[in-house]
Amino acid sequence: MTLTYKAVVRRDARRTPGRGRLLAYGTTGLLVLLVLLTVSVSTGEMSTPASVALRALVGLGDPGDVLVVQEFRAPRAVAAIVAGAGLGAAGSVLQRLFRNPLASPDVMGVTGGASLGAVALLAAGASQLLIPVGALAGGLLAALLLGVFAWRSGLAVTRLVLTGLAVQAGLAAAVNLMIVRFPAELAGSALQWTTGSVYGRTWTEVWGAAAAVVLALAAALVTNRRLAVLDLGDDPAGALGLNTSAARLQLLLVAVALASLAAALAGPVTFVALAVPHIVRFLTGPPTAATLALAALTGAVLLLASDLVVQHLLPIEGLPVGAATATLGAPWLLVLMFRQSKPVRGSGA
Amino acid sequence: MTTTNQLSTQGLDLRYGERLVVGGLDLTLPGGAVTAIVGPNACGKSTLLRGLSRLLAPAAGTVTLDGADIHRMPARALALRMGLLPQQPVTPEAVTVEALVRLGRYPHQRLLSPWSAADQRAVDEALERTGTAALRDQPVDRLSGGQRQRAWIALALAQDTELLLLDEPTTFLDLRHQLDVLDLVAALHAEAGRTVVMVLHDLGQAARYADHMVVLKDGRLAAAGAPGEVLDADLVRSVFDVECRVIPDPETGTPLVVPKGTAARHTTAAASA
Repeated sequence: MTLTYKAVVRRDARRTPGRGRLLAYGTTGLLVLLVLLTVSVSTGEMSTPASVALRALVGLGDPGDVLVVQEFRAPRAVAAIVAGAGLGAAGSVLQRLFRNPLASPDVMGVTGGASLGAVALLAAGASQLLIPVGALAGGLLAALLLGVFAWRSGLAVTRLVLTGLAVQAGLAAAVNLMIVRFPAELAGSALQWTTGSVYGRTWTEVWGAAAAVVLALAAALVTNRRLAVLDLGDDPAGALGLNTSAARLQLLLVAVALASLAAALAGPVTFVALAVPHIVRFLTGPPTAATLALAALTGAVLLLASDLVVQHLLPIEGLPVGAATATLGAPWLLVLMFRQSKPVRGSGA
Repeated sequence: MTTTNQLSTQGLDLRYGERLVVGGLDLTLPGGAVTAIVGPNACGKSTLLRGLSRLLAPAAGTVTLDGADIHRMPARALALRMGLLPQQPVTPEAVTVEALVRLGRYPHQRLLSPWSAADQRAVDEALERTGTAALRDQPVDRLSGGQRQRAWIALALAQDTELLLLDEPTTFLDLRHQLDVLDLVAALHAEAGRTVVMVLHDLGQAARYADHMVVLKDGRLAAAGAPGEVLDADLVRSVFDVECRVIPDPETGTPLVVPKGTAARHTTAAASA
């Protein structure tokens, strides 16, 4: 069951890691992110020159520009960055934890659960500040459902994916059901909770989730050492004094928190968490704490870039970013499944 | 109690599910000595090692280290005193030798403690001792079997424990590499007075390298003591079902097991004896 993951990692490991490569990747990623952010705050219904937009971002210049940039464009961009970072890091932790290239919060149902939790709170009329809490509860519920249905002496890949997809489908249906019964003033947010979107985010929503994502990211980086020890296998890890069951549970909770908080901001966005770990491993090498940070950065770049594409490069108005990532994600998932069903050659050590 | 690193078991039962693998074992593994655990396949040797290292909880009885029940010790506290080389460990893909050995420092580190000079020194020493320093940047899964085994031993050495458990450290190695590993174990014991407990298959090697020998059959203790006192033709017959002569090893004087010729392969020595 771990053959595919091993084969993938072994192939990607041919590119030796090296600090230089990690540094170059990180610097490039940050630069790209800054450029995308600048583009993001300078474009919209009407374009603003980058210099004007950046000044408006810190509150200088024409009050009209300041309002547009600070209250409409910036929160949307920050939401995409934070949600992307959370998804990228969550996917990295999950794929390493389950030694499975298909492990990802959207395949496992965590994203759907988080959306359901958020929608349920909204429908109950709770404050927007509480949405991350609802998302977290929903994500944990999905992880619990997955555990109940898929856990039979470990997690076989096929069962994990099939159960996860079923859980995801069930929870997404529940979301749709609730949205139908939404009061009219909330119907506009349906797009966010059915396909995933960062349209119309406000700072109220962004700050809470962003702070929580930063905390969860810090927890993921701090517990990364345990992930490395777990990689050795249960007996060697136990001999090093690690409580393997507790460590697995902690890491799973951190990953669920990251994915759920991302969903609190952007809804059920697919593909990002699935693809980012593969991209990072392909470009840098075997997983470390540094590659986990790079996965967060890559996720942020990917989601912000996708959001810019749906806003400006596609002829369809108002397409949610989740629709774009899902379009990319479906074939990607197929390729992974196809690769996994093929016999792996040269499995000997 | 003083820390002599003496492991013992009292009425130890180890089970996998319903199956009793090790039963009613009362053992004392002398501190500061090299102990070899031997016995036929599936006699419970590896299971015993897992029980001794807290990886498998006893179904009954206790395992004590210097009198303290190891299953009541915090995992990290035990990991600072006891290292383990599992049988045929699976190396994570693409991990370099040094990255693997660095994980041996895990019990010495706190959640937020940075990598210290002492950590690096322990890793460098472990790499030196096992002759893997030149391989430190190589991915472990691209090494030969002997090199990979030494990298894993280096991980256990970096853990810097006074007690070392090794599960079949020589299996699947050629003779040169077997002797390298055993000589390394002997040196670790001689220099630092480390206590070593290892599962071995070769009775001659066990007799040569161990001060104390534990012989298991079907999960029960068949014999225990100094190799010269324990290992004789009767024991080998009753435990391994092999007719043999036990002669002094011409190099060391320790017991050497020489199986008798069979009908299919008569030897001149057996014919003239």
